[in-house]
Amino acid sequence: MAGILIPFLIFTPWLTAILVWFIGDKHEEGLHQFASAGAILSAILSLLLLSQIGDSTISFAKIGPLFGNLSFSTDALGIILACIANCIGSLTVIFSAEYMKHEKSLARYYSMVLLFIGAMSGLVLTANIFMIFFFWEITALCSYQLISFYNDDPNAVRGGLKALFITQFGGIGLMVAGLLIFGYTHSFEIGRFIQAAQGGEIPANVLGIIGFTLIIAATAKSAQFPFFTWLPDAMEAPTPVSALIHAATMVNAGVYLLCRFFPALEAVPGWKMTILILGLITILISSLMAIFATDLKRVLAYSTVSQLGYMFAAIGAGSVLACQFHLLSHAIFKALLFLCAGAIIHSCGTRDMYKMGGFFKKIPFISITFIIGSLALAGIPVLNGFWSKELILESIHSGTPIIIYILMLFSVILTALYTIRCVWLVFFGEPRSDLHVHDAPFLMALPLGILSLGTITSWLVFEPFSRSLSNSLPLYGIPKETLSELVSKIFGDPYTFLALGMVAIGILIWFLRNKLPLHNSITRKIKSISLNSFGFEAINNGVVNGINAASEAIRNIQTGSLNWNIFGMLIGLICILIALMIGGL
Amino acid sequence: MPMNPLFWLLITPIICALILYVVGRTIPPDDESSPNKAAWLSLFSILLTVVPFVMTAKKFTEEGPVSLTAGMITLTFDGISLLMTSVLLVLSAMVVLFSAQYMVAEDHEEKFYGQIMILMSSIMGLTTATDIFNLYVWFELMAVSTYTLVSFYRNRTESLESGIKYLVQSAAGSVLVILGTSILFGLTGEVKISAIRESILTSSPAVIAATACLLIGYGVKCAIVPMHFWLPDAHSQAPAGISALLSGIVIETGLIALLRALSAVSHAHLPLGTIFLVIGCINMFIGTFSALRQKEIKRMLAFSSVSQMGYILLGIGFAISFPASAQNAEGIFTHIFNHALMKGLAFLSAGALVYCIKVSKGNHEPLLLDDLNGVSAKYPLYSLAFTISMLALGGLPLFAGFISKWQILASGIAAQKSWVAFLIALAGINSVLSLGHYAPPINRIYRHVSNNNEVAISPKFQQAMIIPIIILTAAVILLGFFPGITAGITKVASETLYTMFY
Repeated sequence: MAGILIPFLIFTPWLTAILVWFIGDKHEEGLHQFASAGAILSAILSLLLLSQIGDSTISFAKIGPLFGNLSFSTDALGIILACIANCIGSLTVIFSAEYMKHEKSLARYYSMVLLFIGAMSGLVLTANIFMIFFFWEITALCSYQLISFYNDDPNAVRGGLKALFITQFGGIGLMVAGLLIFGYTHSFEIGRFIQAAQGGEIPANVLGIIGFTLIIAATAKSAQFPFFTWLPDAMEAPTPVSALIHAATMVNAGVYLLCRFFPALEAVPGWKMTILILGLITILISSLMAIFATDLKRVLAYSTVSQLGYMFAAIGAGSVLACQFHLLSHAIFKALLFLCAGAIIHSCGTRDMYKMGGFFKKIPFISITFIIGSLALAGIPVLNGFWSKELILESIHSGTPIIIYILMLFSVILTALYTIRCVWLVFFGEPRSDLHVHDAPFLMALPLGILSLGTITSWLVFEPFSRSLSNSLPLYGIPKETLSELVSKIFGDPYTFLALGMVAIGILIWFLRNKLPLHNSITRKIKSISLNSFGFEAINNGVVNGINAASEAIRNIQTGSLNWNIFGMLIGLICILIALMIGGL
Repeated sequence: MPMNPLFWLLITPIICALILYVVGRTIPPDDESSPNKAAWLSLFSILLTVVPFVMTAKKFTEEGPVSLTAGMITLTFDGISLLMTSVLLVLSAMVVLFSAQYMVAEDHEEKFYGQIMILMSSIMGLTTATDIFNLYVWFELMAVSTYTLVSFYRNRTESLESGIKYLVQSAAGSVLVILGTSILFGLTGEVKISAIRESILTSSPAVIAATACLLIGYGVKCAIVPMHFWLPDAHSQAPAGISALLSGIVIETGLIALLRALSAVSHAHLPLGTIFLVIGCINMFIGTFSALRQKEIKRMLAFSSVSQMGYILLGIGFAISFPASAQNAEGIFTHIFNHALMKGLAFLSAGALVYCIKVSKGNHEPLLLDDLNGVSAKYPLYSLAFTISMLALGGLPLFAGFISKWQILASGIAAQKSWVAFLIALAGINSVLSLGHYAPPINRIYRHVSNNNEVAISPKFQQAMIIPIIILTAAVILLGFFPGITAGITKVASETLYTMFY
């Protein structure tokens, strides 16, 4: 049954994408309906797949020489992520029917979104490392095309190209790792690699290279330090795209990659600690940047980076369960926040929070759903974000040095602070300008409602969640926990209340911001560093300028003069003679 | 000899060239907007050539390499010949069909098709050559048939300039080739490559001199840096179909000539593998960096060919350095096949766009990046094809380029040397950099604000342009999903390469 569902799950959105392209831009209503139908069908297929979770690997034909077999695995790690991708995908496609009304090039938009959804399903379900790379690169292609969807806007094109370069650069890490795995196990199957790695068949230095190149790939894709600068600029994409790709699915691919290879690499010296440190640095830097950002989507983007940092930290602490649980919660509440932001931006026409204010009375539905999402983000009980965040904090507390835990608590303050700041600036206080807003029409309100419901209730599936992960992934050491165990563990742990206290402090700082001595040179310094992305934008610009300068310099060898060209041949001849003499005589 | 299909394979294009030239010269086209009769005849000739090709291929799979002897010269059709001839037939059929509309009402239109046929014969002959002098003769025939194709627009000074530069550099290369060839003959008294390989078992100053001359001489034609300077001019000034042929098959045939020649010294303990690895890296980066600042589309594509040759050279370096890689060398030949299709698609779709925007109005100016602004609104099919070719060349999946790039790098890692990971990372970095010149044209194409406000024109025979573009697009996508399609021919080519060097 899984052997039929999985190919259908990938091909349904892809077939819809091709058909949407042929339907073309002239039949707008048909496009919206057809795309939504395709996406909803995929979502249903993915939910059906939940019943097929097991520990088997399904292998179809050999792809070709040096590519391995077309194989998929039915474990919970892949299937749960596939469900997230398809269900949230279908909600964003429904949302797009209203958001992208009367936009041009809709065929291209829907094709890319559907192509992306199919590729994401493939990425998490495949058991062949070449196929992971294949789908990984497809998601990068779709992300680039969708960020630069408004091709006439140079900022959008720049943002799209930046995302493409940085994630592709990370992709080199995945390519090197995949090829090394093939070279040393003569197989492309992930299961075989895990077996070989745990059995000591792979030389330690090679395993180390594989481990760290995979970290490079994951940090680039999930916008972690030092590759985080592409995600805020990716906010030029239409907001449903930001919700789907840059919050709920593609950026989780890096986290997924590390979880997938966890049992093979956890014993590599320094691997987990590196992931932990990278995650921690990311959380702190991005939280600071979120506190000072003025663009609503940028705040949410930095927040995404920060929450992904939490997931990285969980892996670094050794708990795949906590990481995946937070991935589930975060996908739901972040998609909710982005779609609400989209609804707001769509009606008022600006992303600048300092032009908003007092929206609560005008758009109650969007306000309430946004607040639900932000409560989950801040970690307020009993929303899904609270449970998963506490689980991560608990694993950090028990598995890592105490200084890390203290810094994580500090980050909880920062998270609460930027969340309340964002909510307050947009929805409360006096309106800062004369903007007209209207509440969400039905096709926008429906996904918001569903996601809010998910935010409130998704934690209830914890027991089947952990059980299925544990049963289908025997080599990963995932514990089985029941819901009551979770609840009693979290509420029984005094450190939970310490964390809640930190949330309270963060909220208090906001409300007392005018009374606290916050306007001094240190905070001004922090603010300016944050607004400059901690110098990483400068590094990016330096790299781009360096490459452009190198290319300009290389133009000089193309002299256009025949004499110089022949002279070039002579130089080549001399170099080859020298090389042959050194090697041959 | 008349029963030998290899004979007919080589002779058919030449006979057809003579016939179609005479027909084209004597029977004028129906009207000013119709192609010369020679165009349809040349397409027919290519299809006719497929018959002896299939027969030869069948004989090859059943009995092994097919030989044709005429006096002292033996021509042998082996795995590499099979691969190159398949690429040649597919690509030239597409180019000739495309050119039927593209070259309408040009001066000397019939000579264009005649020369392409001779080019085809020379390429097929070159890949079957077994002695070092005969190799040179076919190589020269191939070069001569391309000189006037490159400078076909003889009334444009840029076109003549690029033709002269190509001619002089190619001739300089040929001087070195004949020098190297004669040194080898002088050393061993043999011309047959297999005999020379048995005789030269140690290196010496003479062997080194001969190898260097051959490498540089043939290197001009296969775009090895620093002999590549003729490429950007020639590829951008030639008519679209010829650019496709040059990038797609001519430079690869130059590479095959180089490999055949070097296989003569393969037992002389020379560091050829390392040299190819280094040259491959240099080609990749020089090609990409040179292409990054280009504003002319065809020049950018020409530099991209230099870079793509770098991947192939890297693959050859792996194959020569490590026996394990040579046994898995399909990637090299898959990339030759796929690159011909992708580059062919790129040049043909860019050609279709420049035809509609400029050439059909008598303007032979090159296609600039700015001309692509918003072009997708009026020419959706050509835009989509061009976009797909750009993504394919950039090595993004769903398309053929991703597949062949992976195969080349996988062959490298088969040797289990961990320092190969460094070269793989370099190839990966080059791929990412190359997106810097493949991706921006796509963004330009799908803008909504465009330059040209005139109505899209519909040439009389536009199916002649559309059909090859659709076929090539479908091929690029199919090979991206089903790499096994070409597995048969690449495997035999890889086996032949192994026998040449081990």
